[in-house]
Amino acid sequence: MKRMPHPTPQAFDLLVRVEHTELRPSATYADIRRVCLEAMHYGFGAVVVHPVHCARAARWLRPSSVRVVAVVGFPSGAFCLDGKATEAHDAIDRGAAEIDYVVNIGALRGGDHSLLAREMDALRAATRGCTVKAILEASMLTDADTRCASKMAYEAGIDFVGTATGFTPSGSVAEDVRLLREAVGGHVAVKASGDIRTVAQARELLDAGAARLGTTMGVRIATELAGDEEDLL
Amino acid sequence: MNERQLAERIKTGILGAEITEQDVRADIEKAKGHPFAAYAVDLSYLSLARSLLRGTGMLLTAAVSYPLGGMTLETKLAQIRFAVRTEAEEINATLHLSAIKSGDYRSVEQEAQAMLATAAGRLDVIVIPQFEILTHSEKLLTCETLLRAGVHAIKTDGHGGLCHPEDIQLVRRAFKDAFSIEASGGIRSTAQALDLLEAGADFIHTSTAYAVLADAAP
Repeated sequence: MKRMPHPTPQAFDLLVRVEHTELRPSATYADIRRVCLEAMHYGFGAVVVHPVHCARAARWLRPSSVRVVAVVGFPSGAFCLDGKATEAHDAIDRGAAEIDYVVNIGALRGGDHSLLAREMDALRAATRGCTVKAILEASMLTDADTRCASKMAYEAGIDFVGTATGFTPSGSVAEDVRLLREAVGGHVAVKASGDIRTVAQARELLDAGAARLGTTMGVRIATELAGDEEDLL
Repeated sequence: MNERQLAERIKTGILGAEITEQDVRADIEKAKGHPFAAYAVDLSYLSLARSLLRGTGMLLTAAVSYPLGGMTLETKLAQIRFAVRTEAEEINATLHLSAIKSGDYRSVEQEAQAMLATAAGRLDVIVIPQFEILTHSEKLLTCETLLRAGVHAIKTDGHGGLCHPEDIQLVRRAFKDAFSIEASGGIRSTAQALDLLEAGADFIHTSTAYAVLADAAP
């Protein structure tokens, strides 16, 4: 790993918002270790892993302030409600500090809003004291459905809404961030996920109102940022 | 093999984030006219599919930790218990793929044993090793591990992937008739399906069953 210069406050603020993501089914235990070490090295705020890797990631991250984020109901969201709540609870027991759960997108599309509300309440109850993010799949939803789910997240006391799982093709992430941001009116924070690979893209999303950036390209962004800052010296 | 015989070797279903209740109802209604072997849904639609499939002759398949396999063993077992309670006849459970890729076959064996014990013979356990991301030797070692654990049915891939006849032949050559093999992944035509059956697959798993039947002899 390249030795990093001390980041400027601006760079620090960007990197700490990066959630370094390793959700490939082919990821080995060594890959999980690597993303944890990278997160500590570059100053990312969190790593995002499947629940089966939570304990492993928490062990590697123990001496640091980097958080373990577990994905729940991932990637389809098409699991039963009790199951998602139990899965979230279990992930927290294993060392997750935050839960990214995929909402039941099919129910939302089909107009079953009561199921979505019950699911949000159950996830909120199962994750007391931890941050919980409701991940939407904005590219599969009408703007009206996205707004509706965002509003419900606010009412349920969910901490974040997310634009996407990153496992389906998405359109403009910045547009999705603006839509979510407008719908939650500043009451719920927004996580942007998807193909975020450059400092310019990251800054655009933060400017659009995202508070967190879920990406597999954190190291690339950090390296670009370090290069930029060296050029400034 | 005529259309009817091919349909009897097809397992179909509707899976994915975007699927609505109306989609499930419409798709099962359409499938009822065919002698498909089984029908798979995500867990959120399992109860609905259970009631719609009664009397159709199609088995109900529950997708467990589908398709990435990254859920903990406890979560997978809870999903299997739910499938048993909902009276599904079989599960498609994605294995702990990271364990396979890390050479940790002990965890794979423990997982397979625990899934079988939880199913307790009340439903068939069909596991997904996701051949697409495995090397030649990982495929063989995984199958060997599954046999040790007592699992005798595999579905080659979950979402994504493209099933190759060579993979079916590989498992058949190495393990003879020890496994029931369901070929899955990108099967969209009659010719592809017949090739895979010819190579030794017992079933074809596809969400595009009608395209697969399109060129079958009447």
